[in-house]
Amino acid sequence: MEAFGLLMHGFVVLLTWKTIALMMVGLVLGIFVGVLPGLGGPNGVAILLPLTFTMDPTSAIVMLSCIYWGALFGGAITSILFNIPGEAWSVATTFDGYPMAQQGRAAEALTAAFTSSFIGSLVAVLLITFLAPMISSFALKFGPPEFFAVYLLTFCSFVGLGREAKHKTVISMSLGLLLAGVGMDTVSGTLRMTFGSNELLRGINFLVAVIGLFGISEILLTMEERLALRGHAAAISLRVVLKVWKDLPRYWATLLRSSFIGCWLGITPGGAIAASFMGYNLAKRFSKNPETFGKGRIEGVFAPETAAHASGTAALLPMLALGIPGSGTAAILLGGLMVWGLNPGPLLFVEHKDFVWGLIASMYLGNVVGLVLVLTTVPIFASILRVPFAAVAPMIVVSCAIGAYAIQNAMFDIWLMLGFGVVGYVFKKIGIPLAPFTLALVLGNRAEDAFRLSMIGSGGSMKVFWSNGLVGTITTLAIALLFWPVLDKAFGSIGRLLRPAKA
Amino acid sequence: MRKITKAAVALVAAMASFPAAAWEPTKPVEIVVAAGAGGASDQMARMMQAAIQKNNLMKQPVVVSLKGGASGAEALIYMKSSEGDPNKVLIAYSLIYMLPLSAKIPFNWRELTPVSVVAMDQFVLWDNIEGPKTVKDFIAAAKTAGSPFKMGGTGSKREDHVLTVFMEKRTGAKFSYLPYKSGGEAATQLVGKHTESNVNNPSENLEVWRAGQVRALCVFDKERIAYTTKVTETQSWNDIPTCKEEGLDVQYLMLRAMFLPGKVTPEQKDFYVDLFKKVTQTAEYKDYMEKQALKPVYLTGPEMLKFLEEDDALNKSLMTEAGFVAQ
Amino acid sequence: MSKSEFDIEIIVDDPTAPEPDSPAVTDIHTVEIVVSLMLLALAVMLGIDNWRTGASWDSTGPQAGYFPFYLSVILGGASLYGLVTTFLARRETSETFVTRAQLRRVMQVFVPTLLFCLAMQFLGLYVASFLLIAGFMRLVGKIAWWKSLLTAFVFTAIMFVTFDVAFDVIMPKGPLEAAFGR
Repeated sequence: MEAFGLLMHGFVVLLTWKTIALMMVGLVLGIFVGVLPGLGGPNGVAILLPLTFTMDPTSAIVMLSCIYWGALFGGAITSILFNIPGEAWSVATTFDGYPMAQQGRAAEALTAAFTSSFIGSLVAVLLITFLAPMISSFALKFGPPEFFAVYLLTFCSFVGLGREAKHKTVISMSLGLLLAGVGMDTVSGTLRMTFGSNELLRGINFLVAVIGLFGISEILLTMEERLALRGHAAAISLRVVLKVWKDLPRYWATLLRSSFIGCWLGITPGGAIAASFMGYNLAKRFSKNPETFGKGRIEGVFAPETAAHASGTAALLPMLALGIPGSGTAAILLGGLMVWGLNPGPLLFVEHKDFVWGLIASMYLGNVVGLVLVLTTVPIFASILRVPFAAVAPMIVVSCAIGAYAIQNAMFDIWLMLGFGVVGYVFKKIGIPLAPFTLALVLGNRAEDAFRLSMIGSGGSMKVFWSNGLVGTITTLAIALLFWPVLDKAFGSIGRLLRPAKA
Repeated sequence: MRKITKAAVALVAAMASFPAAAWEPTKPVEIVVAAGAGGASDQMARMMQAAIQKNNLMKQPVVVSLKGGASGAEALIYMKSSEGDPNKVLIAYSLIYMLPLSAKIPFNWRELTPVSVVAMDQFVLWDNIEGPKTVKDFIAAAKTAGSPFKMGGTGSKREDHVLTVFMEKRTGAKFSYLPYKSGGEAATQLVGKHTESNVNNPSENLEVWRAGQVRALCVFDKERIAYTTKVTETQSWNDIPTCKEEGLDVQYLMLRAMFLPGKVTPEQKDFYVDLFKKVTQTAEYKDYMEKQALKPVYLTGPEMLKFLEEDDALNKSLMTEAGFVAQ
Repeated sequence: MSKSEFDIEIIVDDPTAPEPDSPAVTDIHTVEIVVSLMLLALAVMLGIDNWRTGASWDSTGPQAGYFPFYLSVILGGASLYGLVTTFLARRETSETFVTRAQLRRVMQVFVPTLLFCLAMQFLGLYVASFLLIAGFMRLVGKIAWWKSLLTAFVFTAIMFVTFDVAFDVIMPKGPLEAAFGR
């Protein structure tokens, strides 16, 4: 019940005209970047982040999370109307959404998409609401060894569970960790890898890298494609909305299943992409007539959208509680937290209650306001696509440059951004994943510091990572995940050996 | 960057040629903070920003710019390279002496223009509320402990680290020093009993002290802190004994001072001397001094220079004795 | 409200789209080898630097260069592995990395962006943005001059008001802003 009281307090913090105005601005900007080709969730948030630097943290996070919801909603518009998934996790939405639009049921598909996004996020927010107080109860148990074990777990799960070629994940992660180490080493107070340059002294800022890797490189990649499109922008009438909502209870199993998958994959760093596909595939498998999927079934829209949004929202929980981002956007929000002077981690829930509950309350409000906003304004946003890319591209470049410069007021960062743009373009084309790189860049320093502080504390003994139940479990789990492919095979062969014996 | 600076200089020159009474900034003024967001310097900069804007001490807006990269070295290099730009003020602390020694950063505070010293910051020895109750018990416990006591602090080879080394030298007890990224982190780690003690500034441990989670053992100054208003249920800042009273003869105070970049005109410097003089008379400043238990000090001109030279020599000898000067 | 009122057809053409049959400039195989070699060189360079910083384990745990040094070793190892497997893989099966037409389009964005970053150092952000947007729309997008100039002006003005006036975010400025005393 404590959670409920805190949540109400959060609403009180938010219900001012200023915050609601910021929410609307955030949502509109978010839908805008979600609809535009070559942008999307993480890029949009990264580019618009500098706008919030001068705000107080609560207003800033409200605006940013609304940009994020807006971008998610916007992605659905282009997937359904034009068969252009704005984000990788919208791909599954196009399977049934676009056929529906072609059959003249665009309004229905859009309503389904927005409603299920709403449901997915709502379930995840509920989960966060009830888990958050539990997190603050073990906040003080976290010392350097515990933090290191958690970081190790994140890194290992990426290497062990990633679908890309292992050596490419390793390249991406070690490069990120190396670049994170550039500058001053806080534990010993010595400089390293700066090669005598004053510009490298301050280190490589993670947000600058993200703007380059995602913003600039995405424009380069978009230019390679044919940018023609054709489709209908349909307005949504109240009648259609009510019709879809009336049918909702029929699909409760799909909605619940997808929400569950989403929350699970959001908290463990599986991500929204995996969640949306898994949601879609499971809906298809459990369906009585799976062959109708892909031909315009409304369930085929419900399933992936619910899962993607549940996962995108749930990803904020590990970000706030442990400082581990479950998604690209969560990673950028994490960078934002640090700029505003908030240290993510279990203590955030104790020391900055106002902020945490303000954020959680803004998730509820942002979703409701967002749902109403998109349902009423679809045709306006769809017409943004008429703006030629030749006008959009330079504006994105300018926004990226403003973003990269404003973080540290350094001209050098503009060049870094450009460099990362080229690196991102090449890496994406030869299949080196960028997610481990960004994760390593944001967590690298903290993981190293946590490790070295543990070593100083224990007098150089590695046993500290198994010194109590909490840290021991996490460390063991991390190592198991690292060797997961090997273990999986081993278990598989043991299983095969046993089965004929039993038969 | 240099282009902008040149433009600014040209502009300033143009303005100076008018028969105006005194110089005044024509662009937003940046207060450069050599630490991360939320730290003591950042809070102080924001207090000054509020004090200047609320009391209309200046026409141009004030912007706080955080340059905490490389433990604050970023801010020093930034100030050094902004020679002649009168729209940037550094809020400096002991890092101006220590960083060039420990990390061989090419910087010397004499290349900047000292404006005024605005406060002195205290250091307090803290332990967990469940730990030893007096300095004597604490030292005795540290000496007999199986593994060295863990001492938390901010940064490596800096004021907190120096204090730890001197405590070791004076008492013969051994500590293992854990350098955290911020004083806030050092405070929460002490509450969580991941360290046995820390030497935070009063402001950094204020919240956890008030919550009754840590104990203030002694203050590293010749005299007690002056503020007598109750902060916790039973204690005021004035109730904390000095370390010397408790038999631990270690003293250290840290300056909080304002610097302009090098090569600014005397008129420009005078404007800021006057501005910060006015700031120290505002209610915001006074409140802040008491809340954070800072020593209100105001020094400028030759007095300040004399102080800086002495303070520099003192810090240098401490750093050398502690073995923190890079070869 | 009739339904047709809101049913807008949206058609966007892309006359300068890269032709699908354009010849390949290079294939993924070659690029992978080049990238692996560059990463290997980077790993060696960083490895040496960290070795100098100190990569051993002293009384208080690892030194400053310890982790970066071993990370460079891992990076070097992984790139070497990548290099060897790419060499062993059959070259004929490799896909196109970029076609000539695609590269032309990518350069159409990349070169102006590069020029924009350069111009920003001397002219300040706002003037450089104006030039980039107007120039790009006109020269690459073949959009009418008046539309290009107007769009560029409006966008730059909005950025200026948002960042410089409303939020006090300091951006690089050039002689034009100085002339207006900002």
